[in-house]
Amino acid sequence: MSGSVSPAIDCDVHCAPESYDALFPYLSEYWREYVEEAGIRLSALPYAYPPGAPTTASAQAHAQTGNPTPANYESLRERVLEPGKLRYAVLNCLSGFGTHRNGYFAAAIASAINDWLREEFLARDERLRASLIVSTISSEDAVAEIERVGDDPRFVQVLLPVRSEKPWGNPSRHPIFAAARERSLQVALHAWGRAGQAPTPSGFTTTYLEDYVANEAIAQAQVLSLVSEGVFNRFPDLKVVLTECGFAWLPPLLWRFDKDWRGVWREVPWLKRLPSEYVTEHIRATTAPAHLPDDPAAIRQLLEMLDAGALLTYASDYPHDHGDGVSALLGQLDDPARQAVMAGNAAALYGLEL
Amino acid sequence: MSHVETRPADTAETGRAVTLVDCDVHAQATEAMLAEYLSSQTRRLLERYGRRTPRVTEWYPRARNAGMRADAWPGKPGHIWGSDPELTRAQLLDEFDVDFAVLEVLSGQDCYDDARLAAEWNRAINQWQLERWLEFDPRFRASIAVPHEYPDLAVNEIERCAADPRFVAVLLPASAAEPLGARKYWPIYEAATAHNRPIALHTGGYVDHRGAGYPSYYLEYHVGNGIVMQSQLAGMVAGGMFEAIPGVRVVLTECGVAWAAALRWALDSAWRLMREDLPDLGRSPSEQIREHVWFTTQPIEEPADAQHLIHVIGQAQLEDRLLFATDYPHWDFDSPRQALPRAMAPELRRAILCENALALYGLPRER
Repeated sequence: MSGSVSPAIDCDVHCAPESYDALFPYLSEYWREYVEEAGIRLSALPYAYPPGAPTTASAQAHAQTGNPTPANYESLRERVLEPGKLRYAVLNCLSGFGTHRNGYFAAAIASAINDWLREEFLARDERLRASLIVSTISSEDAVAEIERVGDDPRFVQVLLPVRSEKPWGNPSRHPIFAAARERSLQVALHAWGRAGQAPTPSGFTTTYLEDYVANEAIAQAQVLSLVSEGVFNRFPDLKVVLTECGFAWLPPLLWRFDKDWRGVWREVPWLKRLPSEYVTEHIRATTAPAHLPDDPAAIRQLLEMLDAGALLTYASDYPHDHGDGVSALLGQLDDPARQAVMAGNAAALYGLEL
Repeated sequence: MSHVETRPADTAETGRAVTLVDCDVHAQATEAMLAEYLSSQTRRLLERYGRRTPRVTEWYPRARNAGMRADAWPGKPGHIWGSDPELTRAQLLDEFDVDFAVLEVLSGQDCYDDARLAAEWNRAINQWQLERWLEFDPRFRASIAVPHEYPDLAVNEIERCAADPRFVAVLLPASAAEPLGARKYWPIYEAATAHNRPIALHTGGYVDHRGAGYPSYYLEYHVGNGIVMQSQLAGMVAGGMFEAIPGVRVVLTECGVAWAAALRWALDSAWRLMREDLPDLGRSPSEQIREHVWFTTQPIEEPADAQHLIHVIGQAQLEDRLLFATDYPHWDFDSPRQALPRAMAPELRRAILCENALALYGLPRER
């Protein structure tokens, strides 16, 4: 890379408690007893990140003793902050992406995770920021949690799973966006979500390969929903960050979205501009995974269709490993675009000082 | 079970070169039109109980002229859009000098029927196509409608129709009870392949939106048709059908084309990382797609810079895999005169407008 580049902002770094034990200090006696009585263990999301799958962790992360996903500040600092020379890292803890349907439990766990994040990580390093975890079962509970901890400036966005029972643009979900914006929080849609429901429009996947790429198709549907339902009309300051969902699929989707809107715009009269304009203004995406062609000329063609310097925010997605796409992408960007991707866009998104 | 009579292949009576093949034309049968081909028991069943699944148009009303071209209403008693071969001939074949038009009859693809009804209904569709369309104008070709949730019955129907070369494809919906790459459906694909017919997977079918949940608007649903097909294609690759059925050919119909490049990149990227554990996938996903998959053009994506469309066609190696389609009589009909960008090279335009279809369907070069 030529020129001086300010230290990066890593917008998707994973951490997770080793077990419920780490969350017990933040759970009521009722929930501690529930966890013990029900014999449940904190999920490391084996359906999303199978322990032995090559995409779950890089060889380097696997080489660490114990869980490749950092469970405490020391391991995070050693494995991610120092090597990456990061200016900031945004922590995404997915341990709340449960399979269960108990709304009260979901709310309790979300609160516990947020408290754990604050004490274990955010209080210990000014470089750290985090996504605010909320119940995915109840919008009311999600709002309550945003109201509880959302004023803490170290939470920069509300984390939602990209997989949902209703698309995130659905009006029943708008109170979450309202609560987020009241506290200057953005929203992140992160790959995966509740396991055990079919991730495709036509049923269950049987291979991990399909399930893994399904996040991209689901993210596309969420983009359609957010725009079509007028989320960005109601919340003009909101940005939604597609996290670990890829991005190379975006240009063709927008070509079709714009074309179809021209035909049926009467159905969604609140949209005053092309759908692609809403996306350009309100949607961002993290760089990992970057599923790109081998041919650099094809990558350059893609970069003509997609304003990477405006859309993307850098993410290592530690410890996950999706191959070399991110470095291939960054190698094709000019300095201003690379600077924006590595730090500038995230700084603007989250109000961070470089 | 009556077999469709073998007809002699069209010979070059006039000797004019074929220049335009429309690979997605909707003939729509009303229930009354199909009734004459149904048993009295099934007619009575339908009179009493009707079809048991809400139609897609109830889920997502087509917020633009009920989903059809405003001028395509025949105005004849008993007829609906697309039911009158005379009007289709005038508005499509004659108007645009279409040399061959491949019919895709979707009537009832979105309904989950019991085996008897499904078998009779699809047989009725095929008889209706034969008698009312194929016999009406030599430019029409048909797709064999099959009771896809009952593969053994579907194979029967393929066997019944296959002797007539004017049935050029086997039609399935893009959304079925199981993902279309599932082994359940392989006997259908094997039978089609044994009879040298490609499988046309047409946007539509049951309405189910897992993954992100049900969208609210037709706009989302309509754009989402491309997403549905991405999921289906990923499943077909991952499930191994292209490796297991070597000659199978699939035509992804009415789902757009431009998404294919990014999907191939994602699948290849993932396959490289995971291939050790996918022993049934000897070839990369992009190789499999290249070998086995075609796309109809409509609704063709129209980026502001037409060159971008041409780029993605190249990136996805689709030059010899794109098949022009109008989707007559739907509202988002693509005109042969306007749908392809002017920036497109003449050879590519010609390939899309007819050459690729001639090769795929074994159609004569002159008629």
